Amino acid sequence: MIQVKNLWHVYENGKEALRGVDFEMGEEIVALVGQNGSGKTTLAKHLNGLLKPTEGRVIVDGMDTMEHTVAELSRIVGYVFQNPEHMFFEEDVFREVAFGPKNLGLSEEEVEERARWALRVVHLEGYEDRTPYSLSGGEKQRLAIACVLAMKPKYLILDEPTTGLDAKSSESVVGTIRELREAGHGILLITHDMELVLELAERVVLLHEGRKVFDGSVEDFFSLELHDYGLEVPEILRISERAGIGFVRNVNELIEAIVGGGR
Amino acid sequence: MIYPLYVERESILHSLDPRVKIIGTLAGIAAMMLYNDPAFLIPIFFIALISGRLLGKIEVSQQLRLLKPLTPIVVITLVIWPLIYEPRLKGLLFGISFSMRLLTFALLTFLLLMTTTQRDLILGFVKLGMPYEFGLTISIALRYIPTLYILTGNIMDAQKSRGWEVEKGNLFVRMKRMTAVLIPLLVASLKTAHELSIALESRAFGASKKRTFLHDIEMSGRDYAAILLVVLLFAAALYVRYGLGLGHVVIYG
Repeated sequence: MIQVKNLWHVYENGKEALRGVDFEMGEEIVALVGQNGSGKTTLAKHLNGLLKPTEGRVIVDGMDTMEHTVAELSRIVGYVFQNPEHMFFEEDVFREVAFGPKNLGLSEEEVEERARWALRVVHLEGYEDRTPYSLSGGEKQRLAIACVLAMKPKYLILDEPTTGLDAKSSESVVGTIRELREAGHGILLITHDMELVLELAERVVLLHEGRKVFDGSVEDFFSLELHDYGLEVPEILRISERAGIGFVRNVNELIEAIVGGGR
Repeated sequence: MIYPLYVERESILHSLDPRVKIIGTLAGIAAMMLYNDPAFLIPIFFIALISGRLLGKIEVSQQLRLLKPLTPIVVITLVIWPLIYEPRLKGLLFGISFSMRLLTFALLTFLLLMTTTQRDLILGFVKLGMPYEFGLTISIALRYIPTLYILTGNIMDAQKSRGWEVEKGNLFVRMKRMTAVLIPLLVASLKTAHELSIALESRAFGASKKRTFLHDIEMSGRDYAAILLVVLLFAAALYVRYGLGLGHVVIYG
């Protein structure tokens, strides 16, 4: 359980990025949404200790982030950054994935086992000897997830995991996220992609100017006036609304509702 | 961070043409080199501070803050002069006045940077005859310092999230560990540079020999008056030094 209590964060330049946010998450897929500058990344960086609270507390499975280093917290909360290339520096994929577990001081066999396991989870077996930079966009994103996953964190923060990916790559990343959820991980999805939220999230947290303005189900979220927060309702929801069907999660549900209604 | 030094104010110095300020700064530094008499060097430093306040509307505290990084050199000067010079008290006086001279050089340069936007500064140098490509290179380099700084922060955060710790271990271990940051940084920088060169070329960079400028600068009557004043002051400085023979003392007799 990640617990955030009355979290304030003021940057050195005096900018109040977070103003009293309360937030909790367990083993679920939570979408963290909001405009640029609403405090999403600032909040997420508190969860693995990259940032420390100016005021308030962040407790991760009983550990106060004030009292633990990022390296210690990285065993529990994994953070996959937006640009996967910002973490690649080893000569091949296998060593890249092994870097994290090695930092944890595990035995060689354990490191190797974890690296193989992580690559298997993201479906990158057979890529061990490739150079990380030679992979495609979706493969790089999945490799980035594997690098963090190899630390076996209980929670994963994914920052814009599908941005800039084509439909097929995006699908492969979504598939991986689903499988991780089923394997019992808690996932925090930072995203602007409302279709991804609709498809994947179990709960949505909306930040606006450093405050939490919504925390609830996906269906309730899409009934908000999203325009006020600079967000767009996905096309599929507009269609289903006009068709008088109401809330659907994806194209299949929409078709089923239409076909079902026609029978 | 190192950049930006520019301070937004509405002042005479801010409104002057960058060429005037560049020439003024160079003349000021040249004039300072004429003198070595403490009776001149010490007051000139304070005059520079006060003119920064009056003409540039930049608080004295802010000017001094920029001079802070020079403290080590000043301390060394203050310590060495009395050690190598007899009588020691006079040595100390020289130490003080030479550190003042050094600080005045720095202050004049900082005043130029604090009262001139980067764009105007480069434009000023280009108009004074520096090749445009050179000016562009400098301005791009300066432009990317903050970007690289942020990028480095991002990369370090990403690696920290993989259990990477820079603080642990001896110097060699730490240096080896820095590769985890340096390689992504290098790759990202090269990619940015490559994209930038494509962007420049796709906007016909270097297509015509003679460039025009969107934001052009022009010398006004006030600028000519200012440059005249600079010339007169410099002439006066020469006259005081060589005509009247003041401001120079024999140190090594």
